[in-house]
Amino acid sequence: TASLGRRRGGRGERQSGDALTRGCPSEPARVGYSAVALNHVIDFKEKKQEIIKPVSPSELFPSLPIVQGTTKRIKVLTRLTLVVSDPSHCNLLRSTSANIRLYDIIAVFPKTEKLFHIACTTLDVDLVCINVTEKLPFYFRRPPVNMAIDRGIYFELLYTPAIKDSTMRRYTISNAISLMQICKGKNIVISSAAERPLELRGPYDVANLGLLFGLSEGEAKAAVSTNCRATMLHGETRKSACGVVYTVKKPRKVEEEETAVPACKKAKTQA
Amino acid sequence: MVRFKNRYVLCEVVSEDPRCRQCIEDRVLGLAVRDAIARVHGDYGLACCSISFTVKYLNAYTGTVLLRCRKDSYRLLCSALPFVRYLESRGQRYPCFLNTLHVGGTIRTCQKFLIQYNRTQLLRLLQNCTNEEERQCIQKSLLSCSLTEEQSESGDEEDDDGTETD
Repeated sequence: TASLGRRRGGRGERQSGDALTRGCPSEPARVGYSAVALNHVIDFKEKKQEIIKPVSPSELFPSLPIVQGTTKRIKVLTRLTLVVSDPSHCNLLRSTSANIRLYDIIAVFPKTEKLFHIACTTLDVDLVCINVTEKLPFYFRRPPVNMAIDRGIYFELLYTPAIKDSTMRRYTISNAISLMQICKGKNIVISSAAERPLELRGPYDVANLGLLFGLSEGEAKAAVSTNCRATMLHGETRKSACGVVYTVKKPRKVEEEETAVPACKKAKTQA
Repeated sequence: MVRFKNRYVLCEVVSEDPRCRQCIEDRVLGLAVRDAIARVHGDYGLACCSISFTVKYLNAYTGTVLLRCRKDSYRLLCSALPFVRYLESRGQRYPCFLNTLHVGGTIRTCQKFLIQYNRTQLLRLLQNCTNEEERQCIQKSLLSCSLTEEQSESGDEEDDDGTETD
């Protein structure tokens, strides 16, 4: 049926840090998410931050649980968040450092208006995080937001601070509504920054939270399902060459190329 | 014919502590939900939602809860449900969250959904069965669950063995 009991493509995210081994992703699978992203946060204000290789999910969780309501196993992705407060920090993204390419999704958290503009227009990222824990130091303007929408970049809102604390709730709602007024509800992704399994909420509930943030009902459901899937595909196309050529290393034979399969078609045949 | 239209919200209480399920009562849950609505939507929201608000059905074994409210204010209720963080009973706080499963217009539609949902849950339990006795117990429950025409709620089956997978 088309009821929200059949969840697909929803995505929850967990901050990793030292809590990487905090239980296998059984809670998101039980609640109905079909993909989970483990997040590494890199803050450039601290000294000597290096991009480490992402821990492969298959090492951490040897057996993945099956998603409630489907017959497939939950997908675990790796994600990198860069907290940038200075234009020089963005050089890392432009460099062809090998470690960044290994992450499935790359997100950037701009702290100033100039950086927000740079992130929306030129940086090669999948997500732009919107600050929810304090009053925004800058107002959103239409040109960079529209450019980001055209480029396929999504804006991310977190909901776990809103659940925990009442002051954060006010900031979250006011920042979210000011974003909605500029972008008209397009290209929004709502995710949790849950560090414990009890901070997670089901996809239906998160879509209802989207109503509080000023989205319409269809947009709120999309923010949990289709937009998340589009972000995952956007990250996949970064790994291949513009989404047209997708190389796969076969362990036994010599490297061969699977040509002319666009990433979106490849994901459909996989799913 | 003017009739008051209601919405019935079917939720599931998810928690890590197994004792939390035992303390689920309608009064406790009603208080927790009202408190969440008051925190999020203020006095106006609480007043709107409490016009016809009750906990209609409760199953402490599976943690299933059925709430009723007016059709005009069900959005206020649904958007406040993610903010329930704990249940408080007899001075003890149990951290948990409510997972919304289904919103329906009548109790009967929610009952049909719950039967289907419980059937998939039993199938999941069946996969994780360890011994033959539990397996047969679950298979028997699966075959016997259906919506009968009796007035009592014989359509929902009880959980078995208390073996839950989280």
